[in-house]
Amino acid sequence: MHKTLSLVLIGLTLCTYGQNTSVQDTLQISSNQRILNNLAGIPRGITLGGYGEVLYNKPENLNAEIDIQRLVLLFGYKFDERVQFVTEIEFEHVKEVYVEQAFVNYNLTSGLNIRAGLMLVPMGIINEFHEPTIFNGVERPSLDKYIIPTTWREIGIGLSGRLNSISARYQAYLFNGFLSHNGESGLLKGSNGLRSGRQKGAESTMSNVNFAGKFDFYGIRGLRLGLSGYHGKTQAVDGQNQIPGSQVGLSMLGLDGRYTLKKFSARGQYTIASLSDSDLYNELTGRDLGSKLMGYYLEAAYNVLPFTNKQRLVGFVRYENYNTHHAVGEFISKNEAFHRKEWTLGFSYHIAPGAVYKMDYQTKSTAIANTTKGQFNMGVGIWF
Amino acid sequence: MKKILFLFILSLSLSAWTPASRSERESKYILKETKKAISSTFKIERFLLEQENILLTSSAFLTEHSIFKINTETDSIGYAIVVSAPSKTDSFEYLLLLDSSLSLKKVKVLIYREDYGGEISSKRWLSQFLKSANDDTYVYGDNISAISGATISVKSITASINDVMDSLRTLQSQNKI
Repeated sequence: MHKTLSLVLIGLTLCTYGQNTSVQDTLQISSNQRILNNLAGIPRGITLGGYGEVLYNKPENLNAEIDIQRLVLLFGYKFDERVQFVTEIEFEHVKEVYVEQAFVNYNLTSGLNIRAGLMLVPMGIINEFHEPTIFNGVERPSLDKYIIPTTWREIGIGLSGRLNSISARYQAYLFNGFLSHNGESGLLKGSNGLRSGRQKGAESTMSNVNFAGKFDFYGIRGLRLGLSGYHGKTQAVDGQNQIPGSQVGLSMLGLDGRYTLKKFSARGQYTIASLSDSDLYNELTGRDLGSKLMGYYLEAAYNVLPFTNKQRLVGFVRYENYNTHHAVGEFISKNEAFHRKEWTLGFSYHIAPGAVYKMDYQTKSTAIANTTKGQFNMGVGIWF
Repeated sequence: MKKILFLFILSLSLSAWTPASRSERESKYILKETKKAISSTFKIERFLLEQENILLTSSAFLTEHSIFKINTETDSIGYAIVVSAPSKTDSFEYLLLLDSSLSLKKVKVLIYREDYGGEISSKRWLSQFLKSANDDTYVYGDNISAISGATISVKSITASINDVMDSLRTLQSQNKI
């Protein structure tokens, strides 16, 4: 607490110092220097921020769960105008601590950055943009849990930047990949695909380099389109990686779109992942990993309050369809319980930019008949 | 492994080029880009920039700024204004070019520092500010479209340009410019 307080004080002092300097200098310098002074921005110093969500989930016929799902504190330090360190420390369910991001961004030119460290894999929308005030629904879309294992982050290095003339953003990274075998058992399985294989930068083992890239285009007014790709191979610990079936090849492709027209907004995402050698892996580990994972969702939303209001009350509906057994190898059969469909209907009440109340009702079913279940959710989310 | 090595060498060689002082580099860059934008927007090659000694009314989105009168040999043809505005965790600089009647002719983001929200530099998106009538207020989500993933910076530059235009109109009504 003391440390946080001192950080806040240091941050404030730095801000104040920066502003005073600017004002004084402005009075006595030439016009060229004056422009220069204007550019100074925040030349160096600490950035503090964070996001969090406290949720209430009530599945049909079961007790409700009330949870501080996540509380994430962001710290940034700017060494100079071009080198910045960004980290996010995450507390999940109060007691689990993770580092969600920790990378150095080196800004080479206005359109080119080099990044290295623990970074988010750019796949789909939510893995990169997951603060609770910028998506509808108390829970994140399930596709972004079971097909894209949000929050998916690994250690890597790569390039990112923007091409302003064609309204595009690009990212290209080399990452460490999923751990498929820890020497005792296989970690990937049918029910949640790749999710349990995330290494999250914690004493992670690396035997294969993976590539991840994303291209975003926002040149059509109100529309943002994204194309993401991931290609590589999973990792297995030393000694294990020589054994056939310990590692699987992985290619993932994602398409996403977000559209806003006045008070109406819509978004959608399609993701498909192909896994090679899943048969060998299942044979070795006794698991039921599918050979293809697929999912999509569509969402439409409407803000019922006038534009001029600071507050927004957004009603939305979302349909999701995802399957972690979209295809399976020769030696296992498809588990229809892994083909899931969800409807979510609810609203997000943005009481201030950065603070939101959420409420929704979900119906969840699988490809097996008569499996529909309902769930009521409420939550409060913040981002600053 | 070779790729990683390549990236490292690339980053080192690029950094070796960079002049020591970023601010000086940025200042030169801003002047160069401002002059280039004036030439192409007003279709002139010879002009002088004269710094105005007035300041706009400051606000949360309009703090540091400089106003220049654009003079040709015979005439004063408009204004170039460089403004600093806040992004999520940093600040960025943008340029406004206006003719003598304070009609907006060009909006350009000159320097955007952080990764989040840099989409506002899109030329196509910025062109929206030129399409509204002179006395219109720019409203995020209405005559200024949203950009998913860049909401904070979109709102910031929209509010900042509104503040600049309001302040300029006030100065004009007082015959100060």
